[in-house]
Amino acid sequence: MQNTRYIFFSGKGGVGKTTMACATAIHYANEEKKTLIITTDPASNLADVFETEIGHKITPLQKNLWGMEIDPDKATEEYRERILAPMRAVMPENVMSVLEEQFNSPCTTEIASFDRFVDFMVAEKEGRGEKYDVVIFDTAPTGHTVRLLELPVDWSKHIEESAKGSGNTCIGPVASIQENKAKYDEATRLLGDAEKTIFIFVLQPEETPVYETKRSLKELTEIGVKNIELIINGILPKEVCKHPFFQSRYEMQQKYIKIIESDFPVKIRKMFQRDGEIKGVERLFNIEKDLFNNSDEQTYIIGNGELSNIDFNNFIPDSIDNIIQPNGKTKSIFFTGKGGVGKTVISVITAYKLASEGFKTLLLTTDPASHIGQVLEREVTDQINSVEGIDNLWSVIIDQEEATEEYKQRILEESKSKYSQDMLVAIKEELESPCTEEMAAFDKFMTYVDSDDYDFVVFDTAPTGHTLRLLELPFDYSDQVSLMVTTNQQSADAKAVTQKRFDRIIARMEDPKQSVFSFVVYPESTPVIEAYRAMLDLKDAGIQTQFLVANQVLQPEYCTNEFFIRRRKMQEKYLREIKERFQLPVMIMPLLESEIKGITMIQKATDLLFNNKVKSLI
Amino acid sequence: MNDNTIKTIQIEIFDPPMCCPTGLCGPDIDPALLDINEAILKIKKEFDGKVSIERYLLSQQGQKFMQQPEVMKRLQIHGVEILPLTLVDGKVVKEKEYPSYEEFKSIIGE
Repeated sequence: MQNTRYIFFSGKGGVGKTTMACATAIHYANEEKKTLIITTDPASNLADVFETEIGHKITPLQKNLWGMEIDPDKATEEYRERILAPMRAVMPENVMSVLEEQFNSPCTTEIASFDRFVDFMVAEKEGRGEKYDVVIFDTAPTGHTVRLLELPVDWSKHIEESAKGSGNTCIGPVASIQENKAKYDEATRLLGDAEKTIFIFVLQPEETPVYETKRSLKELTEIGVKNIELIINGILPKEVCKHPFFQSRYEMQQKYIKIIESDFPVKIRKMFQRDGEIKGVERLFNIEKDLFNNSDEQTYIIGNGELSNIDFNNFIPDSIDNIIQPNGKTKSIFFTGKGGVGKTVISVITAYKLASEGFKTLLLTTDPASHIGQVLEREVTDQINSVEGIDNLWSVIIDQEEATEEYKQRILEESKSKYSQDMLVAIKEELESPCTEEMAAFDKFMTYVDSDDYDFVVFDTAPTGHTLRLLELPFDYSDQVSLMVTTNQQSADAKAVTQKRFDRIIARMEDPKQSVFSFVVYPESTPVIEAYRAMLDLKDAGIQTQFLVANQVLQPEYCTNEFFIRRRKMQEKYLREIKERFQLPVMIMPLLESEIKGITMIQKATDLLFNNKVKSLI
Repeated sequence: MNDNTIKTIQIEIFDPPMCCPTGLCGPDIDPALLDINEAILKIKKEFDGKVSIERYLLSQQGQKFMQQPEVMKRLQIHGVEILPLTLVDGKVVKEKEYPSYEEFKSIIGE
């Protein structure tokens, strides 16, 4: 009997999840265990780490090691073809085209990706496919991951309850999904089996990740996950932190390492930051060694060769003043980029700048793992509140659960007078669907995009993959609207109103004077590639990106030893690449000696980012 | 004199393509779908055992559409606009719109 083990890597994007997952994969492959590494992250960089094309199929990487990137679009296409192929021969063309269009629904995408993911977990039980000793999932960033993993629980519950009720669920009548129930249950069972499944959280020793990891851990425990480990990554080695600037960052990190060690009663491994990038299998072994020997004698030097010159290039940041000009109406500014690259901080700084110039500004987050409140050191809720101590600034969070509850209540309230008790029970049951959650949060999001009450609305958006889906929703749903069944006047009216609203929002998002899209990136390989891909995706959706913010840029004057000289050199390479690839204005946010928290720090950061005080500091 | 062999009246509804048949998870609530659901619930309750009502979704149960020549014939001629189609014991009784509760009752013959 085969005993496959499942290892999930979780944590915010950009913390080194993929690197840790890959190092773990080569470790087991080297122990002669048949190992498969799968990513469900729409913004995966598995291919970059192994320096080989992988794609949406199981691809051999080396002896005993295979990889696969689950591409949500491809998964949707496969799912769609499985259903549509038998119909093509007999159905008239216009029926087929309507059907195809219908599969662009966001629900379908969610279902299709999820389905592929569960397939790997139940393949063994069902006795099909290749057998692996270890299956490693390099999962999507925190918020999204948790939602993904919550699905098995929600879904099987949903299926059970629907079977008693009207017999309909969002993914079709119960009959057609009943056969899948066993599959979802098996996946859930495996997630809670400590012998078979491990969840490994990768986090950096900083306040926000600690807070987020706690939250995610709680959510996972609630869905029955028992076996959890941590990897603290990106730790600065003491001996390279002699400069007071880095000494301060070093101490900040050590403080959080202690907090993590006392707050999380689980196995914890620690990993030093390296002086170069982890690309290629050789460097992965350097990580693997530390990860599995876990001794205190870790290395952090992977850079090799003499430093040929230590002259730095000074990058003069571009001005974006003309881009964020007020336009007399509400202007939306969206910050997007991989989770963990500092979107929240940049959003707060931007909103702070605009508010302090006298513009009425709303700061809004759609990121389920948002920490706007922590940066502002103020409570931020799902109600718009003015930010105490900062004139002209308001803030709000779109809380998915709250939004869902509100949406459910609204629909039930509207239905109360119109329908029978039986029908109300059915509606209530139907609103338990996972689609409702997505719909509700989106509905809220649109309300703010559609508002006219502010000079500026600054959006701290969700991690890229998720953001894109969210931003593409108006377009998808607008297609859906044209499919609404209009068999009576009341229905036709509802359709017209909805269509109008969607058209207005789309026009607004596509107008570069009304909506400004920008990317926050670290000057490192993966974030740059990832942002570039995301920018192209946005372009396909009719949206032009207008500027970039390079975050956590090392200031040359602090780079006084080889470790940081090498890292600064690496950053310079990517700053150049950002300029060349995007051909857009690039702002520079320097790395600070501590976290950006509280109004004094926000003020300082605003000066650095907007008033080009970077140079005067150097 | 064959009361014991009363046949169940079989009502089949072939839905147009849609996100979900409840009308609750689209971009907005679709009242037409809520109304048909309400009608079905009432009929099922009142005529328990005498009437069976099934709804078929094109995207999930394409087979059902393809197995029903009456449905396929109309689809070929009129395209997808002909949906929803309501069939009683295999015969089309309504096209393009869902029957109301009253219409269901007269179909059943009460």
